[in-house]
Amino acid sequence: MSRRVIIVGANAAGVEAASAARKKDRTAEITLVTQERNAGYSRCGLPFVIGGQIGCFHDLVVYSPAYFQMLKLNLRTETKATAISTKDKTVTITTKEGVVEVLPYDSLVIATGADSFMPPIKGKEKPGILSLRSIEDGEKIDAAIRAGAKSAVIMGAGLIGLEVGVGLMERGLKVTIVEMLPQILPQLLDADMAKLVLEHLQEKGMIILTSKGVEEFLGKDKVTAVMAGGEKIEADLFISAFGVRANTKLAVDAGIPLGETRAIKTNGRMETDIKDVYAVGDCAEAHNIITHKPMCAQLGTIAVRQGKVAGANAGGDYSQFSGILASAVTKLFEIEAGNTGLTETAAIRNRLEVVTGAISSKTKADYFPGAKPIKIKLVVEKESQRIVGGQVVGGEEVTQRINCLSFAIQKGMTVRELAKADTAYAPPLCETWEPMVIAAELVLMKLR
Amino acid sequence: MVKVESYEVPEGLYFSKDFEWVKVEGDKIRMGITDYAQKSLREIVYAELPSVGTEVTQGEPYGTLESVKAVSDLVAAVSGTIQEVNDEVQSKPETLNEDPYTKGWLLVVKPSNLQAELVNLMDFDKSVEWHRAQVASKC
Repeated sequence: MSRRVIIVGANAAGVEAASAARKKDRTAEITLVTQERNAGYSRCGLPFVIGGQIGCFHDLVVYSPAYFQMLKLNLRTETKATAISTKDKTVTITTKEGVVEVLPYDSLVIATGADSFMPPIKGKEKPGILSLRSIEDGEKIDAAIRAGAKSAVIMGAGLIGLEVGVGLMERGLKVTIVEMLPQILPQLLDADMAKLVLEHLQEKGMIILTSKGVEEFLGKDKVTAVMAGGEKIEADLFISAFGVRANTKLAVDAGIPLGETRAIKTNGRMETDIKDVYAVGDCAEAHNIITHKPMCAQLGTIAVRQGKVAGANAGGDYSQFSGILASAVTKLFEIEAGNTGLTETAAIRNRLEVVTGAISSKTKADYFPGAKPIKIKLVVEKESQRIVGGQVVGGEEVTQRINCLSFAIQKGMTVRELAKADTAYAPPLCETWEPMVIAAELVLMKLR
Repeated sequence: MVKVESYEVPEGLYFSKDFEWVKVEGDKIRMGITDYAQKSLREIVYAELPSVGTEVTQGEPYGTLESVKAVSDLVAAVSGTIQEVNDEVQSKPETLNEDPYTKGWLLVVKPSNLQAELVNLMDFDKSVEWHRAQVASKC
């Protein structure tokens, strides 16, 4: 009998897992179950549809219906997985029409993702607070703009909050961001690097209130204002971007253990504590390459890499997940920002002793017209002199530097090696001395 | 030739819902995969095809295409006996991505029941309509 693989979730992690399972096992019965109407689309693209750079939400679909058909993947949309029995090896599903089915599996991949998180704020049950997680969420925000919304309050200055904020400003809305912490992008950047992004956003007219928590949602029938830091802010649109929490209910109800991050615990094969049950993407935790601690980074890049590993294992192959550095980049108006590995703040929190070096340079030769500023910050562990983190903020050319630093960290490169790196140069493309190399020299001087 | 979104649909061919095209050439037919199929699979790295003399059956798999990300069965659009196999797509599978309708043909088949089986395929107009339904925008 052919192998039966069930995957709960059909976006980044789920579809990747299905493809990897099919690659290994050409005859397996592979079923994807998703509650959503749409499958195989990019959540990361949602803010750019709001902003108008992408024509419509449908354009975010990465995997065409042909892809599912050609790979013989049985896609069940608008279908909810309601229970898992790890003893009987079954998944119970309910279709949109309310039909209940019990599907047996040989391997199960849980890719249930994460849900927007709402802290216990007074008035949070009032209607009118939107979030941006799915195409349906995006359509609601788009409809509100089309209905004439002129202003928005976004709660949270993380990647999603700021990307949505920029999108709304592109559509002509007045945007106020409320962030409880003293800086924007607290996961991505240290305060000194985040300041560059903050200044750019403020120049563009974004109102950013840091060190201000949302205390209450005000309004009679629906939210019309928030109280934040003692100040009442009225707006037409309210978007919660406090962050996301792993969606683990299905797993917990089935007795599948969570780890210390409250996401589903996995081993190197992305298998949970229950044999033949895998967990991937935003609902799963895995080890951080530097700290070796479990982590739930909730990034699309990690979802696809974990999906590929779990799918291969679920299909009978052998594959190991190499761990998380949480490399991430974003573009906000004309500024790009990214991080790989640990920020200085995260390194200190993890009890690492580090030395940092930050260098400001240009993205082309200084004399070349159109050269844009760029700043690099390296985080280096004191004893081993290994690079454990890198942040880049600049007008362009950020992503490939983040990738380069990510490779360096993964290979255990020391700052001494980076200071001697062989780099390329041409005036219209970069500076003679690569700023990553100068930053490494700076760190070496501090280590002397 | 028309384009449905970025997918090319040429005139003068028959199409199956398994993403194959068929070109009638006298008493033989030539078949291959559509532009929509190659774009969905992306970079094709391996084509496993049967040899000359093998029988293929409409609606049944006869080979496999593997891309960096995916693997898919090739499903015969008509039944018959294979007369020619395109060696070039086996040595250079990227031909399927570059030119799926001409250089990237897969098989030449002597059909066994062509007139009856053509009814199961789509002509140009129907194929354009079908491609449009596949990629139908919900916006």
